[in-house]
Amino acid sequence: MSELSPMAAADDGLQLSPPSAAARRGRRRVLALERPTRGMGVPIAISLLPALVLFSIFFLVPLGVVIVTSLSDWGPIGLSFTWLANFSDLFSDPAFITALKNTAFFCAAGVFIQVPVGVALGIILSQRIRGWKVLRTIYFLPNIVSIAALALVYLSVYNPRYGLLNQILGALGFAADHDWLFDLNTALPAVAATWVFTAGVVMILTMAEIAAIPEEIYDAAAVDGASGWTQARHVTLPLLRNVIGVCTILVLLATIGYFDGVYIMTSGGPANHTLTLALYSFQEYSSGHWGYANAIGVVLIGLGLIAIVAIRRLFRVGERDF
Amino acid sequence: MAIRALNRGTRLLFLTVVGLACLGPILWVVLSSFKTQGQIYGGGSFLPNPVSFDGYRALFTEIDILRYYLNTLLYAGLGTLGALASALLAAYPAARMEFPFRRSLTALFTLGLAIPITGLIVPEFVIMRELGLYDSLPGMIVFYSAMWFPLAFVILRAYLSGLPPSLEEAAALDGAGYFQLIWRIIIPLARPGLATAGVLVFINVWNDFLFNLLLAPSPEHQNVQVSLALFRGHFTTDISAILAGTTLMMIVPVICFLFLQRQVIAGLTTGAAR
Repeated sequence: MSELSPMAAADDGLQLSPPSAAARRGRRRVLALERPTRGMGVPIAISLLPALVLFSIFFLVPLGVVIVTSLSDWGPIGLSFTWLANFSDLFSDPAFITALKNTAFFCAAGVFIQVPVGVALGIILSQRIRGWKVLRTIYFLPNIVSIAALALVYLSVYNPRYGLLNQILGALGFAADHDWLFDLNTALPAVAATWVFTAGVVMILTMAEIAAIPEEIYDAAAVDGASGWTQARHVTLPLLRNVIGVCTILVLLATIGYFDGVYIMTSGGPANHTLTLALYSFQEYSSGHWGYANAIGVVLIGLGLIAIVAIRRLFRVGERDF
Repeated sequence: MAIRALNRGTRLLFLTVVGLACLGPILWVVLSSFKTQGQIYGGGSFLPNPVSFDGYRALFTEIDILRYYLNTLLYAGLGTLGALASALLAAYPAARMEFPFRRSLTALFTLGLAIPITGLIVPEFVIMRELGLYDSLPGMIVFYSAMWFPLAFVILRAYLSGLPPSLEEAAALDGAGYFQLIWRIIIPLARPGLATAGVLVFINVWNDFLFNLLLAPSPEHQNVQVSLALFRGHFTTDISAILAGTTLMMIVPVICFLFLQRQVIAGLTTGAAR
């Protein structure tokens, strides 16, 4: 997953849990610097206006609309409230259950493969091994490429007739005619494999966090005889709790809303085996079931918020141990 | 010593496997886009031999690729400008002024980054249609400005909070008004922050697929991602053209990144430094 956005949830402006030490420091700093703001009320209001208008129209109103209309039977023709009918339909809808399971699968792939791979890359490159700058560019490059392009790349890689994967398997003497995205057993992992190793964002954030760890902690560890692996495992890794939490949130937000890759590679097929929540919502929108699409959207957004709150608690995001 | 050598070996193996897994396929596609159909089907060599531009020639005659590039450039360029302008005007008071609800407003704008926006497709479509912005170039530009405003806001607010207050205080004493202050003092000072936010927003808009597909579906408003991804669906026979198209989808963000790597990395780590 490679949408590029920074530590949304780590920023101290986001108050989903009690303000962190950093946030409290930040507040004190602004107050301490008493700005000459007297008589600036009108310009400040004008200055905030474009942001307020854009944010209201494209974030707040849609959020309200999606919640209210998820309780309705809405489409191009008209709207009538059916209250919780959409939600009770959802949970007896096999396609929705499949989409939920597949989305959970992608989330798990992100959390248990992409995040650890990125953290490991960050730890290794932080040891300033030879060529680390070039390696950083190499590992980050796939993250800069659009998910759509990555999907097309892997459509070619998985192609049963000329794809790279089957060519390699053929050269190694294995059967070389497997259709990876069409086989019910391999489609879902094959889709996940297109992005689980693109862990550049996690790597960069890990490297930044490691750079912020004070030198003295390592000196103390060296006195205790820790070096190399031991140091990485018992000193660095525990100190990365905060950044691992942040990365987990970023990866979860991206995988919960995963759309581009499955839309392009499989359209959710074969037989819904790669359908995700976002894609199912889009399909329902396309067939004119707007209320139902929005009920799926509400589940999607709700899962995102639950993930953020849970991971922030679990990893105590916002607090550092150094 | 044996354990040390083993550790080094594992590390090298890990770096190689991950490197091949994430860059190998992309490299294979780019190299194969310079092969003929026959070479692609024949397999064998990783390198094109001889180098062929058949795929690119076919692509340029099949679809109006320059138009899609122009569209994408307009979306990414003007969308970035819109996001930066609205974000700077909001981030400046949020970072350096006192006014009622300053903290709640900051939290609210930041929350924009926490919403999986793919859950909002129907309302976004309906709102764009009601505002007369649906399926138009200006409409997409307004939408992208709004969509990436929170990201630009978070980066710029963080950057502006870190600036020393002395310069703008001197300017305020000179009698400069609020907007003169922003124009003459803040924008020049905030240039690195603007570059950081700008690069990230530009690449994100350039790479958008879903919202272009959803909000401006007619062919003359498509961006590079949508047009080339759909091209693959329509002309599945000409593989070298498909691979050429895939290469053209990736080229601009990769060039941006190679030249502006520092800004991209700074943008990603902005929050971490907080």
